[in-house]
Amino acid sequence: MSSNLLIEVKGVNKTYQKGGETLIVLDELNLEVPKGDYLALMGPSGSGKSTLLNLISGLDSPTSGSIIINGKHLEKMKSSALSDWRASNVGFIFQFYNLLPVLNAKKNIELPLLLTNLSSTQRNEHVSTALNVVGLADRGNHKPNELSGGQQQRVAIARALISDPDILVCDEPTGDLDRQTASEILDLIKVLNREHGKTIIMVTHDPAAAESAKRTLHLDKGKLGS
Amino acid sequence: MYWTLIKTGLIRKRTRTFLTIMSLFVAFLLFGSLQTFTSIFTGSVKGLSAKNIIVTPRYDLFGKQPLSVAQYIETLDGVEAVMYFDILMADSIESMMDGVVFAASPNFFDVYTRFATTDEAEEVLKSTPSAAIVGKLMAKEKGIKIGDKLSLKATSMNSDGTYNWSFDVVGFYTVNKFTGDEMGAIVNWSAFDEARLTEKGTVSMIMAQISDSTLADSISNQIDERFMNSSHATRSGPESMLAVEMAGEIADIKLIMNAILLSVFFTILLVSANTMAQSIRERTIDIGVLKCLGYKDRQLFTSVILEAIFLTFVATAMGLLVTLLLIPVVVELSDGMLANTFNLDLKIIFNGFLLGLLVAFLAAAIPSYQALTLKVVDALRKD
Repeated sequence: MSSNLLIEVKGVNKTYQKGGETLIVLDELNLEVPKGDYLALMGPSGSGKSTLLNLISGLDSPTSGSIIINGKHLEKMKSSALSDWRASNVGFIFQFYNLLPVLNAKKNIELPLLLTNLSSTQRNEHVSTALNVVGLADRGNHKPNELSGGQQQRVAIARALISDPDILVCDEPTGDLDRQTASEILDLIKVLNREHGKTIIMVTHDPAAAESAKRTLHLDKGKLGS
Repeated sequence: MYWTLIKTGLIRKRTRTFLTIMSLFVAFLLFGSLQTFTSIFTGSVKGLSAKNIIVTPRYDLFGKQPLSVAQYIETLDGVEAVMYFDILMADSIESMMDGVVFAASPNFFDVYTRFATTDEAEEVLKSTPSAAIVGKLMAKEKGIKIGDKLSLKATSMNSDGTYNWSFDVVGFYTVNKFTGDEMGAIVNWSAFDEARLTEKGTVSMIMAQISDSTLADSISNQIDERFMNSSHATRSGPESMLAVEMAGEIADIKLIMNAILLSVFFTILLVSANTMAQSIRERTIDIGVLKCLGYKDRQLFTSVILEAIFLTFVATAMGLLVTLLLIPVVVELSDGMLANTFNLDLKIIFNGFLLGLLVAFLAAAIPSYQALTLKVVDALRKD
């Protein structure tokens, strides 16, 4: 294994049973992602992009094959261990932000830190830093419905960053935003990759979003193309 | 962490949380009230002595029994004293009182220690045929003072051929527990028996004070067996047990109360379980996101259980607290007749919280299982 290699997907198959039929979503898929990479995954609906993202982030397990991240075989880890691993290694950015509506921005961002042993003061410091990184220092006490779509996505990015994970998985992060706001979010993600060294895997339908990545891979019928 | 999760669940739909707590609150208010009320009929009211055996006519609670029964009881081993009284029912419309007149034996206050008066009044009662000691509650309601004449029309005929009776008020008595018993007067049985034209030499109730409460059953059986085949068969038992039996003659109060409670709680359980299930369904995405962030299945399972426990705990505490606050109000509304009767004791409070815990677990069982088994990929599926 190359010392720079962060993610290895080896011969992964993912199938589902539907109405007595076997549906192949990922077919003998191989992928290597080095540390600090910014990879865009494109492809038509049902091509397996989100499934691959779920496998890499430890949310789902492959039918066969291996997912090795930083030397750890995710497919061999139990649910509880995977939760711990996700908490410290992966940050999630969703298309629809998925913030908890009753919590303000600060509390939403703080959620991953509640799983740590940090004191309340330390957590507040981390939250302030994350809010500064995403440019929302003055919006901490606002609830999601008091923020614009772009601001909500920035809060979601701050939440993804708060536990300082190596990997950020983004599932169509600009899919619900206008062009201008999408561009700002993509710039922010680019900064996280270039200046903070985050490895980013982004699923997108948007060619403009894919252009901001270092490389783009196309997925079709469960197989990768370049 | 758990408090944040619980709070998030509770404030998501504030109105629904409020209404759920209110419905649970009403259930626990009913629980507290019924349990308190039931204690009257289950003998758990303090002050009813197991060392006092009450002897009444077996087949007619308000019937009469000859004084010879009391005289027989006095001869039994283990009996320390025997007190008896007859009841003179007053016509509340034509009398200056609403309650009953107890025509009692001279040792009434010595044996029936729930009733208390001054030594002076007791002495005057024993020596003066026309003396009456009036219950404090009635005296207060009717403005009766020492020296007043207590006139009443009763169901027993007087020696003058009328139903009119008149007594001189010489003092007041108080009652520990069942303050309603203060709505009456106590007069001298011998004088009353001499004056009446009918039912001479009879008493309504006999009370035997025994040396040891463990003898209560054997002495009661001895009395009942002695008069079993006579025209005045008796029913004997400790005061506390007899109160339960008498209530049981009206209906199985405890069964009725428990049936009401059971149906209320079954309904509440369905309401709570449905509310919790709906709440969790609405939070599917939130739960999925939390799992993404590293929250474990069992942590989310526990948070749903704790949320239900919190809801029921608040409702139980409120329900029992309001019950506690209502007791003096009910006593006040009863003009003091129910003073010292209702009792929300620690056992009821403990049972209330235990029941709350049970409701919480049952209501949260399915929703918490849903949270436990929810797959993130299903929760966050976009289609």
